Amino acid sequence: MNRNYKIWAVFILPFPVLFGSLFIGASERVAFHDVFSILLPGNRLADPLIRTIILDIRLPRILLVFFTGGILSVSGAALQAIFRNPLVDPYILGLSSGAAFGAALGLTTAFLPVQLAAFIFGLVAVGLSHFMARKNGQVSIISLILAGIITNGIFTALLTIVQIWSDPFKLQSIVHWIMGNFQNADWDKFTLAIFPVVAGLIILFLLRWKLNVLALGDEEAASSGLNPTRLKIWILLAATLASSAAIAVSGIIGLYGLVIPHVVRMLFGVDNQRAVLYNLLIGGSFLVLIDNISRSVAGYEIPIGVFTMLIGAPFFIWLLKKSNIGWQQ
Amino acid sequence: MAAVEKIIEVKNLDFSWKDQPVLSDISFELIAGSFTVMMGRNGSGKSTLMRIMGGLLPYDKGWLKVNGKELNHLKARERARYIGFMAQKHQGVFPFSVQEVVLTGRAAHVVYKPSVSDQGIALEALHLTGIAHLKDRIYTELSGGEQQLVMIARVLAQEPGIILLDEPISHLDYNNQIRILKLCKQLVKRGLTVLAVIHDPNMAFSFGDQFLFVLNRKVHSLTLDEATENGILNEIFENNLNQVSIDGRPFFINRIADKV
Repeated sequence: MNRNYKIWAVFILPFPVLFGSLFIGASERVAFHDVFSILLPGNRLADPLIRTIILDIRLPRILLVFFTGGILSVSGAALQAIFRNPLVDPYILGLSSGAAFGAALGLTTAFLPVQLAAFIFGLVAVGLSHFMARKNGQVSIISLILAGIITNGIFTALLTIVQIWSDPFKLQSIVHWIMGNFQNADWDKFTLAIFPVVAGLIILFLLRWKLNVLALGDEEAASSGLNPTRLKIWILLAATLASSAAIAVSGIIGLYGLVIPHVVRMLFGVDNQRAVLYNLLIGGSFLVLIDNISRSVAGYEIPIGVFTMLIGAPFFIWLLKKSNIGWQQ
Repeated sequence: MAAVEKIIEVKNLDFSWKDQPVLSDISFELIAGSFTVMMGRNGSGKSTLMRIMGGLLPYDKGWLKVNGKELNHLKARERARYIGFMAQKHQGVFPFSVQEVVLTGRAAHVVYKPSVSDQGIALEALHLTGIAHLKDRIYTELSGGEQQLVMIARVLAQEPGIILLDEPISHLDYNNQIRILKLCKQLVKRGLTVLAVIHDPNMAFSFGDQFLFVLNRKVHSLTLDEATENGILNEIFENNLNQVSIDGRPFFINRIADKV
């Protein structure tokens, strides 16, 4: 019974969160009733500026935040399952630093659009990690994590070079981007991110039960008739495609993909068959709430990555102490 | 002698690991509906052979036929319907429930997610192994013996005709060892073919129908008497065993007392 309430709550949760967030923003010109009147059919709001603020600034931002939070959580859960490591999230693969380097490159050189460059280098970073970890046709958990660390190191170094080269104004926007920021969210960014995000989500949703099999181990998965290597590559590609597309427009939202999958496990258990959807709904809604804080707590915007890091870091340490995971083997 | 069905046939099979021969020119057969025990020293290649038979390692030369079909040519899904393999030690990471773990054995039968009938089969496997009462417990919190039974139930849920168990009793207390070996006999009675690696000669010879001895990269398919006669048993146990007969049944006692 208790469990049923929780499930209902998860499915209903996004609606009040998304709707309520339309009321929150920096502009004092938008009144409470304006949000309602814009949503009522046939009611044309007089002031086009208010209309723009609600429909073209707040709404795309809220949706972008929702899908970013959702896909980071779903990817985190999927990566944890395939690496059999509860301490893994999209950053371990070097995906974030690869994307950060790509975006910085785009910002300074105009050689490629920022989002596209972040996306490409996110994929390159994951490919590099995978390539380095591959030995005798197999990729072990430990070697992939080590390769991710190396990849992170490489792209952090490259990013530093870009930062040194760039002028102070651009440097500021790189720094802003690195810490995760939805300040410049609009419909263009939303449409840019949404297709890869949805494509990745669909693949991960279809493979959701197989995550359970993979989470038991390669040998167990192989002996029961799956091809673990091929499946893992699919899942890795889907998670990378979707999360790098999100990171390209939102920046690095540190440790978020680690925290939410654990919250979902604590609430609903480990079964990935359900967890994929719950991660999307809870991860999306919760990041919208954090974003509301980041844009309303001070007179200026605080990068959202600051909050997720401050929440995620003690959580990570608590997890590390509690589970003893990562020390054995 | 009645015609027996050879469910597994191995002929002139070679396997090397990094240019190091592990098994060379091995040939043996497994009889359908038998409980075969595999014995041999640590590192002699028993686990390697199990993995080859389970389709997890490709062999270099020779052939291995399962139900008359060449194993290397079978797709993973198809192979999993013939052969189930349980590795020596399984380290669980995530706190899955017992039922969720056993259900993963259905992978070869599932497209996207397990059906109600898959869940029924998983539950049946839990009943067969006598651990249905554990179904909602957390796998990683169970004792070693219980975890071993869960993994056996997982293989059973796969519904293969042949089950390979790599050291299913090595880490268990005496009662759990008996329990698992009795279960093996029970499965054989139901028509399954079971191959298990067992180190304890008393357990091996009181439960096994057929025996494989792995020694010096070779596999010998022998009866107990044959193995005693040609000295293979003594070689494997390095003359540390005394064989005695009680009520016509063979028993093994170590010779430590003679030497100390």
